[in-house]
Amino acid sequence: MLAGLHDPESGELLDRGIVTSFPAPASYTGEDMVEISCHGGYLVPGLLVEHALEAGARMAEPGEFTRRAYLNGKMDLLQAEAVSDLVAGRSRALHRVAVHQIERGLSARMTSARASLVRLEALLVHHLDFPDEDEPPTSLEAVAHEAREVRLRLEGVLATAPEGELLREGALTVLAGRPNSGKSSIFNALVGYDRAIVTEVPGTTRDALEATVSLGGYPFRLVDTAGLRETGERVEALGIEVARRYLARADLVLYCTEWGEGLSDADAGFLDERDCPFLVLETKADLARAGNGTPRYVGTRGNGCSRTEGRTRHPLAAGTDDVNALPDRIVTSVVTGEGLEEVRSVLPRMVFGGLVQAPADMPVVTRRRHRRCLTRAVEELDAFERALANGVPAEVAATHLRPAETALEDVLGTVTLDEVLDRVFRDFCIGK
Amino acid sequence: MQIVDREFDVIVVGGGHAGAEAAAAAARLGTRVLLITPDLGRIGQMSCNPAIGGIAKGVVAREVDALGGVMGRATDAARIHFRMLNRSKGPAVWGPRAQCDRALYALAVRRVLEELPTLDLFQDMVSDLVFRGDRIAGVRTRTGLEFRASSVVITTGTFLRGRIHIGLGKGVEGGRAGEEGSVALACALEGRELEVARFKTGTPPRIDGRSVDYGRVQEQPSEPGGVRFSAFVREEYPGERPCWITWTGEELRDIVQENLDQSARFGGAIAGRGPRYCPSIEDKIVRFPDARGHQVFLEPEGLDTTELYVNGLSTSLPPEVQLRFLRTVPGLERVRMTRCGYAIEYDYFLPHQLRHTLEVKSVAGLFFAGQINGTTGYEEAAGQGLVAGANAGLAALEKAPFVLERDEAYIGVLIDDLVTKGVDEPYRLFTSRAEFRLLLRQDNALSRLGPVARQRGLLSPSQTKVLEERLETEARLREWFRSTRLRPEQVNDALADAGSSPVRTTSRAVDLLRRPEVTSKMLIRAANASFVEVGWEDAMLAVEVDLKYRGYVQRERDRAAALRARATFRIPRDIVYQDLVTLSHEAREKLGQVRPGTLAQASRVSGVSPADLQNLVLEIRKQGGVRSQCSTGNMTVKQHRGASHVSRET
Repeated sequence: MLAGLHDPESGELLDRGIVTSFPAPASYTGEDMVEISCHGGYLVPGLLVEHALEAGARMAEPGEFTRRAYLNGKMDLLQAEAVSDLVAGRSRALHRVAVHQIERGLSARMTSARASLVRLEALLVHHLDFPDEDEPPTSLEAVAHEAREVRLRLEGVLATAPEGELLREGALTVLAGRPNSGKSSIFNALVGYDRAIVTEVPGTTRDALEATVSLGGYPFRLVDTAGLRETGERVEALGIEVARRYLARADLVLYCTEWGEGLSDADAGFLDERDCPFLVLETKADLARAGNGTPRYVGTRGNGCSRTEGRTRHPLAAGTDDVNALPDRIVTSVVTGEGLEEVRSVLPRMVFGGLVQAPADMPVVTRRRHRRCLTRAVEELDAFERALANGVPAEVAATHLRPAETALEDVLGTVTLDEVLDRVFRDFCIGK
Repeated sequence: MQIVDREFDVIVVGGGHAGAEAAAAAARLGTRVLLITPDLGRIGQMSCNPAIGGIAKGVVAREVDALGGVMGRATDAARIHFRMLNRSKGPAVWGPRAQCDRALYALAVRRVLEELPTLDLFQDMVSDLVFRGDRIAGVRTRTGLEFRASSVVITTGTFLRGRIHIGLGKGVEGGRAGEEGSVALACALEGRELEVARFKTGTPPRIDGRSVDYGRVQEQPSEPGGVRFSAFVREEYPGERPCWITWTGEELRDIVQENLDQSARFGGAIAGRGPRYCPSIEDKIVRFPDARGHQVFLEPEGLDTTELYVNGLSTSLPPEVQLRFLRTVPGLERVRMTRCGYAIEYDYFLPHQLRHTLEVKSVAGLFFAGQINGTTGYEEAAGQGLVAGANAGLAALEKAPFVLERDEAYIGVLIDDLVTKGVDEPYRLFTSRAEFRLLLRQDNALSRLGPVARQRGLLSPSQTKVLEERLETEARLREWFRSTRLRPEQVNDALADAGSSPVRTTSRAVDLLRRPEVTSKMLIRAANASFVEVGWEDAMLAVEVDLKYRGYVQRERDRAAALRARATFRIPRDIVYQDLVTLSHEAREKLGQVRPGTLAQASRVSGVSPADLQNLVLEIRKQGGVRSQCSTGNMTVKQHRGASHVSRET
């Protein structure tokens, strides 16, 4: 409703605005809430807040509304976390995942996996606790089969974790190469403004520069590092040490080399040591073309991207867009802009290939906490199947089921209920 | 001179399965005990199914025995049919079950009670309780007598405001068929502002065995041998009788469906909730109308009677309908009914009002055990009776309380469930209620609970001697399996017979035992070991399971240890849950109601999530309640780090 907003002491009209009431339990937090919309700027909102505080209100703590919503059972833990991602997120892709999660994308999968485990336990309980009943005994094959189904489903979700976690943090993308190979120019071109100092003097960049960029909607933490070479200069040596440390953690390496220079044995050796994917950028194409127009270098090393083999592939991406089909080198020029568009479009596919290909409603694991819990659940289920296959009695093998369930409950932060017996009584005619 | 002694340490009200164990446990501790019941002739009465044991329940019966109790001996003395349920599955879930002669069982209970020198019996109905402030001081009876004691155990079963229903109508007051209910005592207890609710349960008709056509039913003979329920005294088995199996069909279903409106349960005469695992035939047909039929067990009531208990056809339909549907069952075409089935509604007290000792939180010295706490089953009642009686006696002696944990005994699971989770239907034990099923087995009941029973003074000298022999036997067997090496020529024949692959080199017995097909007996025979004696079956099985599934058993022990760590994290008694704003509303409400003593108990209160628990730890720390318990707290925090994540980030 439209209302006048007055100073409670003097009665002076401060502003006229919309007051919306959200009665419990349908509100965001599940409690009675009121929202006041007033005119913008600094003064009016500031005055209203000031008066509200004087009248006994207090400022909300960070995330307090979401916390209240969680505590009042309006959302589960995964949804609450997604709200935090939504607020803090810096890329379209994370935004999409977070919105999907707030709509219970991952929660729904976890809830249904957990329901399957409860059903599984119910089958076992029927098998163990009610041997004299009317219904035929439960077959252990059926139990093992169901356990396998659940495990495979969880593994599918778990496979999104390596890329999903990068969605929140940004893929650490390190520019490396010999001094003066054009790293800083590429860095500036991708960042979109002159962040790094560029000169033709080799060894200009000493410290590492970091900037977050969104490429094709995916977050990258782009790092420009000192060129790698033997040097007696102390500051430069320190810079090279920093570069090496970044490289050790990199999710992707952009290796710059001047067009026509070719890859030396040292370059090849360096790239061989990477255990992340890399892309060779042949820079300064404009200079070479301005010269005789033909590069001296003809590639001897192929498969720049082949290191992605070791990475966990998104299950839904398999066969749709082979990562190996991506180029292993791109010829670029920051002067003419040659190749830059291709770099922008290739990087997301190299790092987030699975997610790029995945259908929009595929739930994505974005936190280590989720990955740890899911891994635990998968391991327990795997052990359960193996035990049954090895002739371990069902009641002994079943010691793996409860921990698997607990792991899923931990993801959801849900209440543990005595559901197994409810399930048994609902599904089976029990009792003499 | 007084006609009866009026001063005791412990008074037990009721002589059923809970009352008998309570009185016996307190008396074994050496306290002076009085058991009062309206009919001394019905001590140890089996009011429903004449059988002891089954899945989980059989383990409880053996636990009661291991703690020095009555039930095991009475069962052995009365058993006329034995089966080990789940024999086809692993030994960890075996459940011994004995069909008993109803009369012999009651006689045996009475006999065992009368062996206890400090236990007096008295026939009267308790009508009121004597209080001194917040303490119990004694009881008054309908005859006007007053007895004094510092501990009183109430074990009134279904008698509190009991109401029996057969068909429609208001039903009649009664505690069991033909017996008076107890209203005055119910009022006295309600005067203490204890929360009360109502449950219902039922029993099937009984029939004249001479009217059964045995050619049309399937005989289920007693298993030869079988295990004894009592580890301490070898009672003589009285004789054997078979059970019989038959099936209901569509005709019975039609009769029940047509007459549903005349059932006390479905006609609306009964409001109380009944057990889902022990449904009436009306329940089964309403909930599973498509089932082709239901199994019916005809169980002998005793050696000297032909009367049979019709297990599976519990009902509250009118007698004429009962007879009509009975006569549709193969073998019962010309059956004569000796007793009608009936439903009974009764009062129980919400068990969250109890401590883990089964003492009422608001009245010191007052204990409840058995169906009054919302359970069903003789074994569940006996287990509670033993714990309540032991604590009543220990309290009178001013000694520390006796509490069994969830990883120690099914009795511990039972009581913890009652106290922390409450009940919304009559509570029965299942193996699935126990998270440490592999530890809580029927074969290891004595070695598991005997030592603690001995330590708390619950075992007689002769029982202690049996326990010590058993522990020594297990130690010898364990050592034998660990140290014995078997050559291929010794074991390969036996392995081949069992369908296990042969060995090429000399192998340790303990390693061979890990194979699923290999048993301890097989290895002992192959080694020609002669040290094994008759009566070691239990010990051998206990050792075998422990060694065979060592990894799994150890895993459960580790989990149990983690739980114990939580159990040492005490929650301040005066904590105000409503003020803990980081806990969910539901958790605040439930925790405020149950008021758990430790974090472990709090974790089992329904509606309390892992995140609530973690925040509870933080709140208690914040209030400076438990600084000394940091290590426990850390464990919890670590385990549920995700939750703290949210409160920091969002």
